[in-house]
Amino acid sequence: MYLTREEESILNGEEGEGRQKAMELVTALGKIYGADSLIDITSAHLSGASYKTIGDGGLKYLEDLVGGGAKVSVPSTLNPVGMDRTRWKEMHISEEFAEKQLKIIDLYGQMGIAKTCSCTPYVGPNVPSMGDHVAWAESSALSFVNSYIGARTNREGGPGALAAAILGKTANYGLHLDEKRRPTVVIDADIDGSIFSHSLLGQAVGMAIGSGIPYFRGIHPEVEEAKALCAAMAASGSIALYHVEGVTPEAGNYDVSELEVIHIGKKELENAYDKLNTVDDVQLISIGCPHLTEKEMHQIAGFLKDKEKKNKDIEIWFCTSAEVRDKCPEDVKIMERFGPVLADTCMVVAPIEGTFERTGTNSAKAGNYLPTLCSQRAMCRDISSLMELVI
Amino acid sequence: MKFEGRCICRGKAKGEVIKLDEPLSFLGGVDGSTGELRVREGNVAGKILVFPKGKGSTVGSYVMYDLMVHGKEPAAVINENAETIVATGAVISSIPMIDQIPSVRLFEDGDIVSVDADAGTVDIEGISYKEVVSSVVSKNGKCILEKRPSTSRSYPGYWSLVAGKIEAGETPVEAARREIMEETSIKVGEPLGSMDPLYVREGKVLFKVYPFHFDSEGQEPVLNEENEAYVWASIEDAKSLDTVTYTILVMSTFLS
Repeated sequence: MYLTREEESILNGEEGEGRQKAMELVTALGKIYGADSLIDITSAHLSGASYKTIGDGGLKYLEDLVGGGAKVSVPSTLNPVGMDRTRWKEMHISEEFAEKQLKIIDLYGQMGIAKTCSCTPYVGPNVPSMGDHVAWAESSALSFVNSYIGARTNREGGPGALAAAILGKTANYGLHLDEKRRPTVVIDADIDGSIFSHSLLGQAVGMAIGSGIPYFRGIHPEVEEAKALCAAMAASGSIALYHVEGVTPEAGNYDVSELEVIHIGKKELENAYDKLNTVDDVQLISIGCPHLTEKEMHQIAGFLKDKEKKNKDIEIWFCTSAEVRDKCPEDVKIMERFGPVLADTCMVVAPIEGTFERTGTNSAKAGNYLPTLCSQRAMCRDISSLMELVI
Repeated sequence: MKFEGRCICRGKAKGEVIKLDEPLSFLGGVDGSTGELRVREGNVAGKILVFPKGKGSTVGSYVMYDLMVHGKEPAAVINENAETIVATGAVISSIPMIDQIPSVRLFEDGDIVSVDADAGTVDIEGISYKEVVSSVVSKNGKCILEKRPSTSRSYPGYWSLVAGKIEAGETPVEAARREIMEETSIKVGEPLGSMDPLYVREGKVLFKVYPFHFDSEGQEPVLNEENEAYVWASIEDAKSLDTVTYTILVMSTFLS
């Protein structure tokens, strides 16, 4: 791999140990994936924020980085953490967990990373532009900025994205390159326009192709539908980029006439639904994976406005970012009659397995991860069907 | 015996091998505070940890860091193919790491190995090295398997492809033709196919095996004294026999 003189000097430790370790990591990953050089990035988004997912090893790693004076050199945001910073007792979180979680947030802050913790930074504090090279972790968010915005990132891991943020550079391979962004398969989708159907569509496509770059025909997603589609495909498969005919910015660049065509319709969505639903009654309903947008908050509050929570045995959590929650005080007031509107966390990265065994969600992504990361049996339905269980 | 690999994380180490034949997830596979393996007996602390590649949760990188914090990290990591999780864990924990070694089958538990990740080399102490050929000689989707006598030094009583050592000055394909002629009296032409070399350890000897595929061109074997019987075997037939390591893999590659 070609390194500039400046990059070489960082690798040789001339700018301190923190930057040297970051350069060792970025170049090692570049070597594995055949990068020819490094490339400047304009932003980073980091995973590895919940104490539940990174544990004591991750906490010590962050302490050592901060001790070594590491700072990010591009605007960087952080993924959801394991609890709401102030309302963690409502989430049945232990004192010990809370203490360590707050420490982790503080350590990221000391490195210069924005302390808003969301999986949808692209609706607020961290919005790349078309053609920007970025280093993003969080499978759903990186797919969104790749696909819907036309920025360029690989599927970065937590430490790799942090190293890139420290350097302001990442290795130039994969989805940073024009030729690696070509569609690999056409998906003819025959679905209704609901957010939930886009979630099931993503689940069905991930199950059908696993990896690759799908080119969709027959859908017209807006931000919320695209968000659901990204999240589902990145969880049921490892899809980091897709194109939508007439919608996403790069779709028109490609001739897809020679590609294999897969039809996804009612039958495929039913199979996806069956795969995600393994239980008929739940103890917790959690909405907001990925985090709810303002529009979704309005829709949910509108639906709940004249209703009353009758079933007190089922807890409800609504998950969004602190920014979005602050922007929707009227909606929050209505939603709080049903359950807490939690900021900067979600049911997947929170330690819910100590409290619940059966959880309902409207997210195919959460439907994939609740069984594996949270030891839950899962129910996956649209929001109004979930709410029917309590009203 | 020294092998070339590729540096993933710089550093040097010498130690005893602990080997896994399957991909390893550090999360769940290794205890981060003690170094105890959960997928087999043994402990990685201070060992040269050899496995094909990483798998599983990205949290595995932090488990490697946890090992380092507790002083229980491996002295070095050797992979066939590095992927993000293990490479990240090695770099953040400053564990010397090499990948692109030919095969984990080079190694056995207890081997004393020197890793020089800066130079990208691995040196296994006290083993000798032999290059051999192993040929599929085929007819209608079947090939010749020879039965080694019970007095054979290597794999007595097992069924084998037409195999033998490469002599000094011979290319692998020349050795393959000579062995086929000596053991079966069959004269073969150009190979129909070949594979990347395979590695087999037998005690302190490492065999590098060059597989080839030849057409029997209608000839029937006439055995010499080295083997006591032969059959024309399909892949299915071979699966029900006691065969030498890699026989089924090589047959499947050439005959499927």
